[in-house]
Amino acid sequence: MLQMVITGLICGALLGFVMQRGRFCLTGGFRDMYLTKNNRMFYALLIAIAIQAVGIFALVEAGVITFSAGSFNWLAVIVGSYVFGIGIVLAGGCATGTWYRAGEGLIGSWIALAGYMTMAAIMKTGPLSGIQKSMTEVHTSTNSIPDTFGISAWYFVALLAVVTLFFAVRELLKPKAALPKLKQKRSGLAHLLFEKRWHPFFTAILVGLIAVLAWPLSEATGRKAGLGITTPSANLLQYLVNGDQSFLNWGVFLVLGILLGSFVAAKASREFKFRAPDARTSVTSFAGGIAMGFGASLAGGCSIGNGLVQTAMMTWQGWVALAVMILGTWTASYFVYVRPRSQKTKTAAAVKAAV
Amino acid sequence: MSQQKLSVIGQVCPFPLIEAKEAMNALNSGDELIIDFDCTQATESIPEWTAAEGHTVTNYEQIDDATWTITIRKK
Repeated sequence: MLQMVITGLICGALLGFVMQRGRFCLTGGFRDMYLTKNNRMFYALLIAIAIQAVGIFALVEAGVITFSAGSFNWLAVIVGSYVFGIGIVLAGGCATGTWYRAGEGLIGSWIALAGYMTMAAIMKTGPLSGIQKSMTEVHTSTNSIPDTFGISAWYFVALLAVVTLFFAVRELLKPKAALPKLKQKRSGLAHLLFEKRWHPFFTAILVGLIAVLAWPLSEATGRKAGLGITTPSANLLQYLVNGDQSFLNWGVFLVLGILLGSFVAAKASREFKFRAPDARTSVTSFAGGIAMGFGASLAGGCSIGNGLVQTAMMTWQGWVALAVMILGTWTASYFVYVRPRSQKTKTAAAVKAAV
Repeated sequence: MSQQKLSVIGQVCPFPLIEAKEAMNALNSGDELIIDFDCTQATESIPEWTAAEGHTVTNYEQIDDATWTITIRKK
């Protein structure tokens, strides 16, 4: 128990710290692929996936960890990931993003988190658990991409590494205008940790390493999985309302650690402040949280569980979920950012013409 | 040269940047826009956009806990 508390909190705190300092926001990344045609955050995600893939298949080979890919519940994964993608735009951050931004003092993220945890618990053990059960009956027998092709996972890991390296190097070689910097007020370690801008690729390398670390730490406590956010968030709520200790596992301490790590990072870098959204944003955030909880429970994972971990495990679930989740964020971005602005321009033009 | 002020305190990303883009559109070349914001992620997105567009940042600093100000001169 003590080991579970300590290693879970430490791993989560590292993740929360790194994500806060590195501004690691997948929602923003997926959204900007569409809004500003900027793929840098997506390449950063590929870096984190590739590093984790090398790490976990090496750990499996060394006999340190074991995992089973299970079956591919394609219907639930596709529907759930799409709803999840819409939800994270409304909530202003993915599941992990919501946890770490809550640690920065964003009340909007607290509201989204409340909707997310509640809906995840309703879906997992509550009245809506039937939807999930009936939809997951539609599945293929194998979820592992290497098993489908009958070849070693290392071929896919190598392919991913080469593709990632290609995009990362191409991105780094692009000519760039000098980026305006904040006035430096600190020096030494304090500057590096709490002030300096972190390159997204550097942050991604750290996220990938933490994702690898999560596997042995989690398995040592009997939980055979890597980073996970949705089930642990639901578990936390289930434990809080019924006191059943069987809901407490490594993942619960992981998500609490994210909050803690992000708070420490934000406080130390003078980026913690309570920020309250207006009524309209609060309602949108809550709706986003509900959609996130519904979607991630159905899909069996959020942008971390599916988008970072299942992808590294080379499963169909991970890669299909990632693609559909991105489509969901693009759909929501159109309705939230693109359409209202173009209508505003049209109205302005119409008013001008009338005058 | 004139200076305009835009406060997007309390707005979350990507709205600070969207508002900044609109405000810049209304300015003339050489005019400056002072943006006050408290969305952590805008500390990345606003400077990146400014650099990509070729505008000049004449002042950029943290003025309080989770509060920043940036002054952009339109090219």
